[in-house]
Amino acid sequence: MASEQPVVAGLWRKAGEARAVDALLAIGADGAASVTGSDGAVLAWGAFQGTKVSDRVGSIPRQVTYPDGGVFETGDNDGVDRLVASHSSGSAGFIHKLERFRPRLALFVLATIVLGSAVYRYAMPLLVEVAISVTPPVVTTLMSKSALASLDQAIFEPSKLSAERQKSLSDGFAELVAQTDETPSERTAYALTFRTGGPIGPNAFALPDGTVVLTDELVELAGKDDEMILGVLGHEIGHVDHKHSLRQLYRAAGVTALIMLIGGDIGSGTEDIMVQGAALFSLSYSRDAETDADRFSVALMHKAGKDPAAIARFFELLRDKLGDRAEGNFLSTHPATPERIAETRRYASEVGGSN
Amino acid sequence: MNDMSNLQTPAAPSLAMRREPFTFTGTAREYFGIWIVNVLLTILTLGIYSAWAKVRRQRYFYGNTHLAGATFDYHALPWRILVGRVIVLLMLVLYNLTLQFLPLFGLLVFAIFMFAIPWFIMRGLRFNARVTSYRNVRFDFTGTYWGAFLAYIVGGLLIYGSVGLLAPIASRWIWNYMLGNLRYGGRPITCDPRLDKLYGQIWLPAFVLIGGGLVGFGIVMAILMSVGLPDVNSANPSGWSIAMMMITIYAAMIPLFLVFMLAGLIYRAGVRNVVFNETVIDGRHVLASSIGRGRFASISITNLLATIVTLGLARPWAAVRMAAYMATVTALDTTGSLDAYASDLQNAGTATGSEFLDVEGFDLGF
Repeated sequence: MASEQPVVAGLWRKAGEARAVDALLAIGADGAASVTGSDGAVLAWGAFQGTKVSDRVGSIPRQVTYPDGGVFETGDNDGVDRLVASHSSGSAGFIHKLERFRPRLALFVLATIVLGSAVYRYAMPLLVEVAISVTPPVVTTLMSKSALASLDQAIFEPSKLSAERQKSLSDGFAELVAQTDETPSERTAYALTFRTGGPIGPNAFALPDGTVVLTDELVELAGKDDEMILGVLGHEIGHVDHKHSLRQLYRAAGVTALIMLIGGDIGSGTEDIMVQGAALFSLSYSRDAETDADRFSVALMHKAGKDPAAIARFFELLRDKLGDRAEGNFLSTHPATPERIAETRRYASEVGGSN
Repeated sequence: MNDMSNLQTPAAPSLAMRREPFTFTGTAREYFGIWIVNVLLTILTLGIYSAWAKVRRQRYFYGNTHLAGATFDYHALPWRILVGRVIVLLMLVLYNLTLQFLPLFGLLVFAIFMFAIPWFIMRGLRFNARVTSYRNVRFDFTGTYWGAFLAYIVGGLLIYGSVGLLAPIASRWIWNYMLGNLRYGGRPITCDPRLDKLYGQIWLPAFVLIGGGLVGFGIVMAILMSVGLPDVNSANPSGWSIAMMMITIYAAMIPLFLVFMLAGLIYRAGVRNVVFNETVIDGRHVLASSIGRGRFASISITNLLATIVTLGLARPWAAVRMAAYMATVTALDTTGSLDAYASDLQNAGTATGSEFLDVEGFDLGF
């Protein structure tokens, strides 16, 4: 009898009640699931399709919940699986089948590593591009205005450069902007502005809305060589053109979000370490952005009919003049390595040579 | 006279205290499969599966935790966890973007955030309580917003403001909020740990922090002196040497970090013992916790090291090991048999977690 009709032994609890009684669950030929007590009394009866069978997770007890809230609970997972298999068409337990301890789990480990790096390398950059494309310009404008306002309040002084010097540099800047691939309306967003750098010394940086800030100290350092300054400005235009700051912001947010989402599975200690590691890793990303902007400067200067190697000359000047006391200035964010100078020079001659 | 003897006869056996130990029956072997599939599918779906992963993980750990012949159950619906996570993620993104875009309003944004946190904590605790059941009867959480504000915001400020000296007061508020507001089948749970007992738990971690801190600081200095920082400011700094410098600093900080972590673990374990031993369920059952502070710290630290060394693969083993240890040091001292007590228990009715906006997953490491 029992072999014809599978029966599972377990406990029966009425809806919302803690009291349990020993019971048997059986499914008749008509698809009705009945729970009977040890005395043979029927405790619950209803279509098996109408009950909710909890998913199998490891070997924890399973519950078959009736529509009225009554629960049949059993540790006999295989028994429940047999009932489900013979009386319902769903593919219940698919995840559990994946999870069983089998040699193929080694494959899953491999797949996790491969897919993890694929997501990091390809899917994440793709999402970043999508986020950038849907970011309205007003956001970057707001961000830049506010950043400059707080810098003005905290460290900057108004520029002491003469109006003529400012005008000639601004004209050169406009000439460079005119050579970019941006649309005319996008070009109007670019603006060069002057400040006394104070603690940040000889420096130049770009805000994502196209505002480029140049410090008096950098202009002084360059002496009369305006072309050199334009090389630096070309580099900053490159950052704006390629949306580097927004990209870095979204990237960091994406990586952190992904780490947070697997946080529950990896434990909070490991999560903290991964977040720190991701921050370290983003350093290499910002180095790529610098190289990218260097090449942009070279190409742009060449297009504008100026010395493409101007930025390399500027790095050499920094290296020679500032040397080791280069704390907190342009050097710390734009390291002037011999490789970098050589690479910029090589690219400049390549661009210049094709002329 | 007659009435009194009638009362006493049945009451006498039910007054006997009985210790019911917690046990954990999960295995690293079994959990490994669940874990790797969780991680794999979470990455594959760019994080969406993480809600389903959480449900499977919680069900595995709850379902393997036994007390007096019954297990705990976790009933959260994955899609609701997903909604909660999306809301929390959006909040964090909004917070960070606002800080980035409007640094001038940073202080205001920070203040708004500080006032929002207690709400999320309160909702998170309520969600977790309501999706948890034992013997088919649900837990509930009745903590208020201002209770969370006192425990987490004022408590957090107290800890930082007093360099940890007032930490026991904050611990008292936090645990009183977390456990004292729990309900099981409508029955109240009280948690009123005495402050002097909590202060008794501060000496060992303080000693570790000061003593170990000095030793750790010495080691950091020794490492930095002998290795020397790769010189970034020399003529040829590069992205690589900056990264090397960061790595050196991080590596040198490890002894200090370990000391800090050790002190935190010892304190938390001691506090849990005190708090659990003064947590009373329905006026008759008392939780009991007997964590060995050194043992707990050593398990935590070796777990973390094993997880790092195996690039995460030992995590399932570590998680199961910790759950098993925590179960063995936890018990419930019941008045009379739990079976007899449970036979009267019923769901309180409202606490089924049917509210739409019950947000989970706002774990803050205060």
